[in-house]
Amino acid sequence: MRFISKLIPPERWRFPVIVLMGIFTGLAVFALDISNAPSYLGDKPETCVNCHIMAPQYATWYHSSHREITHCNDCHVPHNNIFNKYYFKAKDGLRHATIFTLRREPQVIFIKDEGRDVVHNNCIRCHEELLTDSRLLARGRDIHEFRMDRECWDCHRETPHGTVNSLSSVPHARVPLPGSVVPLWLKDMVSKSKKQ
Amino acid sequence: MKSIQEILKGKPWLGWIIFAVTVIIVFFLGMLASSIIERRAEAIFAYTPAVTFPPDEPRNEVWGELFPREYNSYMKTSETDFKSKYNGSAMVDMLEESPRMAVLWAGYSFSKDYNQGRGHYYSIEDIQKTLRTGAPDESVPSPQPNTCWTCKSPDVPRLMNKSGIAEFFRGTWDTKGTEIINHIGCADCHDSKTMNLRISRPTLLEAFEAMGRDIEEVSHQEMRSLVCAQCHVEYYFNKEIAEGVDYLVFPWKNGTTIEDMESYYDELGFSDWTHAMSRAPMLKAQHPDYEIYLTGVHAQRGVSCADCHMPFISEGGQKFTDHHIQSPLNNVANSCQVCHREETQELIEDVYSRQDKLLENRNILETLLVRCHVEAKAAWDRGADERQMKDILNGIRRAQWRWDFTAAGHGNSFHSPVETGRIITGGIAIAQEARVQLARLLSSQGYFEEIPYPDISTKAKAQEYIGLDMEKINKEKGLFLENVVPRWMGQGREREKREYVE
Repeated sequence: MRFISKLIPPERWRFPVIVLMGIFTGLAVFALDISNAPSYLGDKPETCVNCHIMAPQYATWYHSSHREITHCNDCHVPHNNIFNKYYFKAKDGLRHATIFTLRREPQVIFIKDEGRDVVHNNCIRCHEELLTDSRLLARGRDIHEFRMDRECWDCHRETPHGTVNSLSSVPHARVPLPGSVVPLWLKDMVSKSKKQ
Repeated sequence: MKSIQEILKGKPWLGWIIFAVTVIIVFFLGMLASSIIERRAEAIFAYTPAVTFPPDEPRNEVWGELFPREYNSYMKTSETDFKSKYNGSAMVDMLEESPRMAVLWAGYSFSKDYNQGRGHYYSIEDIQKTLRTGAPDESVPSPQPNTCWTCKSPDVPRLMNKSGIAEFFRGTWDTKGTEIINHIGCADCHDSKTMNLRISRPTLLEAFEAMGRDIEEVSHQEMRSLVCAQCHVEYYFNKEIAEGVDYLVFPWKNGTTIEDMESYYDELGFSDWTHAMSRAPMLKAQHPDYEIYLTGVHAQRGVSCADCHMPFISEGGQKFTDHHIQSPLNNVANSCQVCHREETQELIEDVYSRQDKLLENRNILETLLVRCHVEAKAAWDRGADERQMKDILNGIRRAQWRWDFTAAGHGNSFHSPVETGRIITGGIAIAQEARVQLARLLSSQGYFEEIPYPDISTKAKAQEYIGLDMEKINKEKGLFLENVVPRWMGQGREREKREYVE
């Protein structure tokens, strides 16, 4: 409390400081709003195409059978506990946001090792019964080579995004990208006043 | 502990540092905000095509310049070399396959000619070729109204926007021969500004309104079926809406099941034609593909028409929707196998087995209906009156409506085998009941023998049996195709050259 009381400006400076703080906060809220920040707390796949470079990933998922069952988060963030889920999501998301903001995205996006582990575990999370089938439980000498050291998509290569994933791979796909930052009511107002 | 005011009094440079840090933070926050806006604007520009043509541009090749992959795959609907067990991309003469149909449609133009259609590429050519549109020339009009053009071309929304909906339908089919020359294509399903899917035919909007649904509320996934449902549905021509106009309507006011539509027609007292032999007030079911699909398991699981008939494909480094709209049986890998992990041949056999089994009973119903018409005619000939025939004719109407509903949609047996089976079974029961009533009536007239089943083993025999002079009809059509159609198309292209100066 003593620290905070030190920050409180003297009486005659209060008004300008309140205004300045307001500008500062307003700018921050504006940045959060135009970046659809609250959507990042949810699980909607539309959130992932807030950045348009994810359009190929969205479009390919939308045309796969996984569309019916899974959303992006079901595979791409861990589900062992809720804290890890949001920790990983925040870490990964902030990295994505930074790269996107700095325009450092590569032409073809590849998943990083950490992400691979998460996806692999999520494959198993849903498809566990495929791995625990008693017919597959026999342990031969080659178990490491053929069973333990591979990832699901070493064989299931097209699942679900396919093998073509450059940023320009789906030029005409209909993807629910965020539209203009100007809200509709404002556009209406502007076009009305123009007409008048 | 000193307050910040006191600290600053002693060290004025610290005040400047706080000021500078704040400037830097706000500066970068502003940069971040403008970067977000910039990248969001990018999303709008990068995915909005640089279209220069007007919203109702009917020429597919003009759209194709901007979307070569989609256009080139769409033009593959011109292929006619795929043949599945019952369907495929080639034209199949259905009256030849099943001459019984000619008898079922006696007195209606379908008895002259009924084919399983080819791809969208042939929409104009095939409506010009079918005997149903007649052989109009300057002195003789077509027997059909302009309403028949509604599903055939992106010229249709262009003309509707110009003249209004009812005015578009007005007049006989031949009066728009030079106006409608482009086959089904881009503008039928796409908005020219955004390339989003759009409903270009008002009839679907009106049908949704009649059901109390708002088409603006549907999801993108539903739109991937609804653009097809603009045409692949049951419809009829309503003469009450505008004076002297065959106004196109989907009979969905009570719902989209066969019983819903039947009750709608009954309330309206509507019939498409009166059967030439039985004099029953008949209903002609038109390809109710969408309505049947809605009752199937794929629709219930959220699979749209486009998911199977227009799957995603890749070509080089690009992925796009395959616009070669066709039977998924010709493209099992990209359609069925996206979800179903069975072997191609197994999946195809699954489809065939449904078709085989349903066709078995549909043929029984078809034969029963031929008998119904023949026996009803015999009853009339022996002096039956309207009162005696009323229930029988209504039975024939209801049974044939069920037969036609399942036969007219070529994909029904697969899209919804259980519903299709239910409808056929109901139809058989109704037809048999009508025949019991007919037997009673005939015996009351003192006739106890079997009414002989006509020899309709070929299309020619069946058409002769119902009294069609096919030689004359074919000859007139030949002259029409030779003389009138080239003139229509030539004048149409000339008109386009004038209207769209490059």
